[in-house]
Amino acid sequence: MDKVRIKIDHNKCTGCRHCETACSSNHYENMVNPALSRIRVYIDEEANQFFPVIAGPFTEAECTCKYDVIIDGKEYDECSVCRASCPRRTWFREPGTGVALKCDLCGDPADPHCVQICNHGALALVEI
Amino acid sequence: MEGYIGKILRVNLTDGEFAVEDIDPDLIRQYVGGRGLGTKILYDEIDPAIDPLSPENKLIFLNGPLTGTGAPAGSRYMVITKAPLTNTIACSNCGGSFGPELKQAGYDGIIFEGCSEEPVSLWINNDEVEIRSAIDLWGKTTHETDDLIKAEIEDKFVARDTQIACIGPAGENMSKLACIISNKNRAAGRTGVGAVMGSKKLKAIVVRGTKGIRLADGKAFNTAIKSAMDKLNAGPVTSEALPAFGTPVLVNIVNECNILPTYNWQSSSYENAGKISGETMAETIVTRHKGCFACSIACAKCTEIEDPEFKGKGEGPEFENVILMGSSCGIDNLGAIAKASYLCNELGMDTISVGGTIATAMELFEKGYITEKDAGMKLNFGNAQALVAMTEKMGRGEGFGAVMADGGARLAEKFGHPELFMGVKKMEAPAYDPRGVQGMGLQYATSNRGACHVRGYTMANEILGVHEKVDPLITDGKAALVITFQNLTAIIDSAGLCLFVALCPGFLYEEVQGLLNGATGFNYTVDELVQAGDRIWNLERLFNQKAGFTKEDDTLPKRLLEVPAGPGNKVCELDKMLPEYYKLRGWDDGFPGKEKLAELGLE
Ligand code: SF4
Ligand code: SF4
Repeated sequence: MDKVRIKIDHNKCTGCRHCETACSSNHYENMVNPALSRIRVYIDEEANQFFPVIAGPFTEAECTCKYDVIIDGKEYDECSVCRASCPRRTWFREPGTGVALKCDLCGDPADPHCVQICNHGALALVEI
Repeated sequence: MEGYIGKILRVNLTDGEFAVEDIDPDLIRQYVGGRGLGTKILYDEIDPAIDPLSPENKLIFLNGPLTGTGAPAGSRYMVITKAPLTNTIACSNCGGSFGPELKQAGYDGIIFEGCSEEPVSLWINNDEVEIRSAIDLWGKTTHETDDLIKAEIEDKFVARDTQIACIGPAGENMSKLACIISNKNRAAGRTGVGAVMGSKKLKAIVVRGTKGIRLADGKAFNTAIKSAMDKLNAGPVTSEALPAFGTPVLVNIVNECNILPTYNWQSSSYENAGKISGETMAETIVTRHKGCFACSIACAKCTEIEDPEFKGKGEGPEFENVILMGSSCGIDNLGAIAKASYLCNELGMDTISVGGTIATAMELFEKGYITEKDAGMKLNFGNAQALVAMTEKMGRGEGFGAVMADGGARLAEKFGHPELFMGVKKMEAPAYDPRGVQGMGLQYATSNRGACHVRGYTMANEILGVHEKVDPLITDGKAALVITFQNLTAIIDSAGLCLFVALCPGFLYEEVQGLLNGATGFNYTVDELVQAGDRIWNLERLFNQKAGFTKEDDTLPKRLLEVPAGPGNKVCELDKMLPEYYKLRGWDDGFPGKEKLAELGLE
């Protein structure tokens, strides 16, 4: 599993969130729920920027170090594009229980459903 | 229940009460969902003869079984009500993420009844439902409303996931052209559904949901998704034209076919079409491609205008309004057209009808029936500044804009020349001149919500040759073609899919069937779906009959019936198609009779 990774080209993302439905229905039998997806798309409707973010490790506490990122001239706080499952935000935690959700590449060998469904070239599985 | 939630929220705005009700599974099966089911509920619960802006009218937001499930282009919620613009049944649908979020919150839809005294908004967070004052939001544009609501939500991460459907000033003023907006630029556009929301003093619906949607057979559903996406990715319109250029890809095609409404339909080709084409848009103003929820096509185009006179950014314009605000107004300034479209989204108006109304006003002005004094400005063809200024006045209900804000039919009537209104049942026609594409003429005349392209897009075969190429100039076989498309569209809409799926070869009942059965486990047969489409169409027709429509209303503007134009230099030969249409529909005298009703279980 450590030989592949997912490459995200956020410039190609259309904000369609199809990856969110695919991820959730692959991890929960007969169920679709973006809130349970290990990939979420941050949609900035004002700037028309779409950032797919894939869930990384669980962190027990929120960051102490704060920073901002500038993308195409617009400032975003670090949480917008962060991949941690952390107490500060709802993403990557099961609603209700708060259990952390983490990308598992859909198994071993990797079979990423988000990559398969993305029709716009924003996600690719690459070997390293 | 799978695919569906099986629950609908009923909200009485007069007394502020609400309740969650179960939906009868048999009814769902017969009417599929969304458009079909909503029509059934409305038909059973209101008298179709009522005033659409009275508290007696109901406003139904309803998803389809495929909405939010991950079915490609399954993003749609539908708004079903009696339409203020046409007085017919209204079903207007909208993409984006609002419908899917509502379903995640645990509701297939919401029925609004009565009318609030003060402006309110409805807030839903899964099981929590709350009616809040919206006094502070009243008067705000749709974009301001969206921002203000999100700012009100304490947790900014929850705010980001929250979805909103709202009206702008046009809906508040009950303009008959008012629409409902989600995700700032997606619209339940046509027939004036925003005015019903305004009449109920309902400014916005705010939804957050995390409950999940159950699927009957996830594996079968995934197989159906793959099959559907393979089809969509093989079709040139859905895999190349729409993703690259959006709907305006049609500008050059339609112009070359000589069916492009120009100068309020006085001509059917435009010398400057190249300046407002999808290709020009892609080169000059498109900044990004965008997709509605789970859409593999992504036809939406984010655009930006730098010209200081028309500076702005947003989404669109789309094909229909490029033409109605562009060539039909004799305007080739893409910046002005885009600006007027942005204003429509912000003020909450249907871009197609606004364009059609302004084009009618321009012809009235050119012929001297409306004066500069009446209008407060020169409304000559080609006046790009007037297009933008008048759009804003219509949206805000100011000056002559207030007169125009109820659409072209009422305007042309008021100034003594109803023949200059280019539409059917008081709704402005979209941008295909039926004199050169005969099936569309029959479709406009018989559509259950007035002149409309998205009730039976025969263009797909007549011009684009998607499923099969047929000659656009002949009338033979068009009645059957129109009926096929009308019934299929009723199913696509009711399922919660975007109509554009039908723009790829072979995306017909079988694809919808596969998706529906995977999601719902209903084991629909194709025959059952074909009949359900027919049933929905007939029920809409019955609604209109009870609302007072007769077969004399199934007609077209005089110009299209009497003045030849287009590639065949002919008129739209409606009289040759209409009797056959009624016959194939099984209607006596223009409406379903006892036998037909019995066949469909509608007696
Ligand atoms: S499926 Fe692809 S294009 Fe759509 S939101 Fe996900 S990453 Fe973006
Ligand atoms: S690889 Fe699998 S688990 Fe990871 S985000 Fe994509 S779909 Fe979800």
